[in-house]
Amino acid sequence: MFEAGVREYREVYWTPGYQPRETDVLAAFRLIPQPGVAPEEAAAAVAAESSTATWTTVWTDRLTTLERYKARVYDIEPVPGRENQYLAYIAYPLELFEEGSVTSMMASITGNVFGFKAIRALRLEDLRIPVAYVTTFQGPPNGIQVERDKLNKYGRPLLGATLKPKLGLSARNYGRACFELLRGGLDFTKDDENITSQPFMRWGDRFQFVMEAVRKAEEETGERKGHYLNVTAPDCEQMLERAEFAREIGSPIIMHDFLVGGFAAHATLSRWCRRNGMLLHVHRALHAVIDRQKDHGIHFRVLAKWLRLAGGDHLHTGTVVGKLEGDREATIGVVDLLREGFVPADRSRGIYFDQEWASLPAVLPAASGGIHVWHMPALVEIFGDDSVLQFGGGSAGHPQGSRAGATANRVALEACVQARNEGRDLTAEGPEILKRAAGQSPELAAALDTWREIRFDFEAVDTPDVMPA
Amino acid sequence: MRLETFSYLPGMSAEQLAQQIRSILRRHLVVGIEFSTSPDPYDHYWTMWKIPLFDTDDPAAVLAELDACRQANPGAYVKINGYDPVRQGQVVSFVASQPERGS
Repeated sequence: MFEAGVREYREVYWTPGYQPRETDVLAAFRLIPQPGVAPEEAAAAVAAESSTATWTTVWTDRLTTLERYKARVYDIEPVPGRENQYLAYIAYPLELFEEGSVTSMMASITGNVFGFKAIRALRLEDLRIPVAYVTTFQGPPNGIQVERDKLNKYGRPLLGATLKPKLGLSARNYGRACFELLRGGLDFTKDDENITSQPFMRWGDRFQFVMEAVRKAEEETGERKGHYLNVTAPDCEQMLERAEFAREIGSPIIMHDFLVGGFAAHATLSRWCRRNGMLLHVHRALHAVIDRQKDHGIHFRVLAKWLRLAGGDHLHTGTVVGKLEGDREATIGVVDLLREGFVPADRSRGIYFDQEWASLPAVLPAASGGIHVWHMPALVEIFGDDSVLQFGGGSAGHPQGSRAGATANRVALEACVQARNEGRDLTAEGPEILKRAAGQSPELAAALDTWREIRFDFEAVDTPDVMPA
Repeated sequence: MRLETFSYLPGMSAEQLAQQIRSILRRHLVVGIEFSTSPDPYDHYWTMWKIPLFDTDDPAAVLAELDACRQANPGAYVKINGYDPVRQGQVVSFVASQPERGS
């Protein structure tokens, strides 16, 4: 029989004690119900509206088996020290999602529910992607090891720089700026995210001048070099046209802004990169709109997981020490999620679930934004070898110019790696290691002098909660 | 000419070199030695000096092989690699001997 009317969501979707299946997609939501709404009802509403239900019963419910398809709230816990704030855990049957589709996960799990009136604020903190689902994705087109093998670069972080000024250089001047940085010792230079194809520098001109700089720097140094050519475009046809041209002129790497371009465009490009042996650097413009506020939105660790599934060889993660937001432990958690094959739950890093990645290739975290030579010991300590450290202003801002700035960073990097391998403590001895290296490098000495006092000591807006064990 | 990791630092002393080798062995990586007379950044295959030293955990043994390789190939660039069989890839590689540096 069909009973028309409205039932409380919790009657069907709040199932405390449910043991999640290995194949379930699990979500941890931070939830603030409206005053007067019970947390169980608010959480059940999230599960219901992101799976099978709408606000009223419908006769067509009877044509299927809700037990098979419904999402379930299986646990709720109050957040310590925050009034009327809860963590709600929801399990989604795998059948609710299309294979190999981040957009499918986004539309369901982060769809209507975020605008639900009964909920004051909602944040997706973490998502456990079951391994059965992981294996339906291709992941990074190359992965860390393949990138290192292709470029012949081992045993140290890679070095990059974003070209400055961000906007307004002609293509020929832009190529000059690349050339100076690359010959000075950087591995990569990078288009800023807002460089696409403006009137002052059309993309085709930029690509050609930049590739001349890359080739010439390779000949001069005997090292592989690259420039992240941004192919983020007004539409997918133009995105692919730019990618094709980058390949034709011999670029080893291109760049895409995955949130701005969207996951479907990004997945298309990632597949193209795998087919064409192209490295893919991924920028994250827009992310802070989505992930910065603690009470509402999607945590960056979820965006990073989705990116690893959809594919990318580098992803910006924050620097911890530079000019941009990012709590240290939460950032390290994201770095692990990009690089490791298995990441255990660790609430002190904001990781709510074990995550098994099976053999999905790994993503290099890119640290970029307000970092300079004095940060080098901390960056090597935090990020380890498998990372790209990007010094834009910290290279071109050198008193003797970009080439000297790049050399200063490369010397500082290698001195830190050497000292670390010798068993020295970079946190305690960092400044001394840098000063000693500067004795043999006037470029580093000048850089140390220039940026001596520059720090960015602001408290992070978003930090993990410390939960009782 | 720069040759990747550590090429922006002054040449290593024998003791510094031994410390880098110890660090590779401490990480349970397999040491390999390769050489070339014409290094090229696009070249992935330098000539192997013997097969990788799979069961060596003695830095002195590695240094002895490095010397033997230098003796047998005067004027060659010689690389030390650290290979991780689990990851199936090199994780360390640096040029330990450069003719123009006299090392």
